Amino acid sequence: MKVPYNYLDRQFDAAETEAILDKLRLLVQTGEFTIGPPVLEFERRLSAMIGVRHVVGTNTGTDALILALKALGIGPGDEVITQVNTFYATVGAIVAVGARPVFVDVDDQYAIDATKIDAAVTPRTKALLPVYWGGLPPDMPAIMAAARRHRLYVVEDACPAVGAAYDGVAAGAFGHTAGFSMHPLKPLHVWGDGGAVATNDDKAAEWLSLYRNHGMVNRDEIAIWGVNQRLQTVQAVVANHILDKVNPWVDRRIAIAERIDAGLSDVLEIIVPPRPKNRRNAYQLYMVRVQRRPELLRYLAGEGVEAKVHYPIPLHLQEAARELKYGRGDFPVAEAQAADIVTLPGHQFLTDAEVDYMIDRIRRFYRR
Amino acid sequence: MTQMTVPYVALGLRARRVKRELMAAIERVIDSGMYILGPDVAEFETRFAAYCGTRYAVGVADGTSALILVLRSLGVGPGDEVITAPNSFAASASSAALLGATPRFVDVRREDMNMDPALLEAAITPRTKAIVPVHLTGAPADMEPILKVAERHGIAVVEDAAQSVGTTYNGRRTGSMGYAGCFSLHPLKNLHGIGDAGVITTSDERLYRWLLKARNHGLRNRDEVEFWSTNSRLDTLQAAVLNVMLDHLDGWIAERRAIAAEYGAALAGVVGVPRETPGSLHTYQTFMIHAENRPALLEHLKARGVDAKVHYPLAIPMQDAARGLDVKMDDFPVTRWLVDRIVSLPLYAEMTAAQRATVIDGVRSFYRR
Repeated sequence: MKVPYNYLDRQFDAAETEAILDKLRLLVQTGEFTIGPPVLEFERRLSAMIGVRHVVGTNTGTDALILALKALGIGPGDEVITQVNTFYATVGAIVAVGARPVFVDVDDQYAIDATKIDAAVTPRTKALLPVYWGGLPPDMPAIMAAARRHRLYVVEDACPAVGAAYDGVAAGAFGHTAGFSMHPLKPLHVWGDGGAVATNDDKAAEWLSLYRNHGMVNRDEIAIWGVNQRLQTVQAVVANHILDKVNPWVDRRIAIAERIDAGLSDVLEIIVPPRPKNRRNAYQLYMVRVQRRPELLRYLAGEGVEAKVHYPIPLHLQEAARELKYGRGDFPVAEAQAADIVTLPGHQFLTDAEVDYMIDRIRRFYRR
Repeated sequence: MTQMTVPYVALGLRARRVKRELMAAIERVIDSGMYILGPDVAEFETRFAAYCGTRYAVGVADGTSALILVLRSLGVGPGDEVITAPNSFAASASSAALLGATPRFVDVRREDMNMDPALLEAAITPRTKAIVPVHLTGAPADMEPILKVAERHGIAVVEDAAQSVGTTYNGRRTGSMGYAGCFSLHPLKNLHGIGDAGVITTSDERLYRWLLKARNHGLRNRDEVEFWSTNSRLDTLQAAVLNVMLDHLDGWIAERRAIAAEYGAALAGVVGVPRETPGSLHTYQTFMIHAENRPALLEHLKARGVDAKVHYPLAIPMQDAARGLDVKMDDFPVTRWLVDRIVSLPLYAEMTAAQRATVIDGVRSFYRR
């Protein structure tokens, strides 16, 4: 049996593809490729789904984070606090606006450890950038409280987390701004790159709309120097088609995660993280910590189970981070997790039989 | 808005001519599941480099990103200056401003509306980090003297080729003469995707290798980041579309040139018309005339259903965004002259003979009164 990590070929079967292509055919007829009506429809619907006043579509999730930071005026001389076990773009975005990333360690759920934020704050700190790593909401109430204590902005890196929520509040509705990615392997995804910024701040939203489109007030006048970071209209068509399916998909991912959790609960070589009930994890990544990782990965590959590692090198140990002057041992929890974490297939298109087969193979490996 | 007899653009018409091919290409991408980079992007890059006569091409998200990436590769930042033309789209200058550098402007020549090489040397300071000549409207900037001045001062030339796919200068395609060429493939361009897209051409191997990483988060491979960067990838869907469009590009350019010749012959002596300089091939991204009494002409054309445009009624130094730059339009007398006179006429291959006649008669009848 094969248990694939990537689900896109199961999702976009002939009928599904045809349904979207029909909508694309209509778009091609009109030629409205630049911030066309589907982009505006998408922005309206996603903002309603998250429960924020504004959503502005962007070209990528990285752009979304860059814009989410810049909209709050974060730039050179400022420090932004985030974590080291995230996708490079989190830090790439901070550096792109000219600010300095400051790291704090993570907790046993792989989320930023809110109790360590206070110690990382300096007079230059401007914002907290917590990550919904793998789709899990971090401790947002504690993070918001820390931000209030120090008068900081909160920019949510909700890139993999459309469909996630904390105490019923959707990812992206806590901070001053939030960035989402719609890369193909995200819960809400398109046929290529796409992203979005969410905010309740009217002024930030107005600036975002200007800045992502060359600063153009209208065709002839530019108010500010801006960039081109528009959401592609063709991708908005795909996103609109998928939007209402995201929450049911996340429901299925949660069911699969619970099944794997239960199936592995007595395997002592595996650490399943705590699963607080008030956090709705979108499970973009189903991650556990394992013993003998290289051997397990090799064994699973041989058995047709496509497991991955996100990621083996934490960000502070990347070559790109050398000027930040961190070293091994600075973030012991994240470093330990990087050494033994594994991402198992956990997507919504897996059958129970496939999930059970994967559980069985892992148990066999550990002779359980 | 009233229905125009001759709309300025008809993007839907263009896409419809190749819709079947486009949809087949899109479907192939969907079936492959390769939505990010992959063979379609690589194929487009190989073909586009061959088309421009450079060793490499790197697909990027849009034309503005192309300029920003290339300026970044040169280390352009705070304290640096970048010289460009004042009568361009904002990105020619904003790309430098967004990196913290100061855009400087050199006035243009009336005949090709491009950077005047005779004025370039005086604009160079010890802080000049790059020169960004623009090939506006599809007419090439006068590259030979520009390259000579740049070489003398050891300054890189980055071609803003956003409007000039296919344009040649002394037999060389734009994008192949400087350190790099930055192309926009936005829907209004002669070669375009169905959305935003861009591409950078270069024959510099180091720049090429850096760009491959810089457009993709600075990643050396899946797990290692060499330097912090952004996501400025060309969408695979757009690359598949561009591969279709590229097959038709030269045909479309020929169609545009035929209409431009028709307009040029009919309107010469009535208004200023664009001319091809010897040794160059103009691709007429826009057909821009110089017209006296412009507001009345535009009214007259509108009344006859002709949707003409102005690219652009405000030169870059006149924009609110430029308020911090300390430049005055008096320094750019030709640009100021042009700003009040330029008019872009509708020009696309899908126009009917009757529509073309409406445009020509519209302009001619205005000045006969």
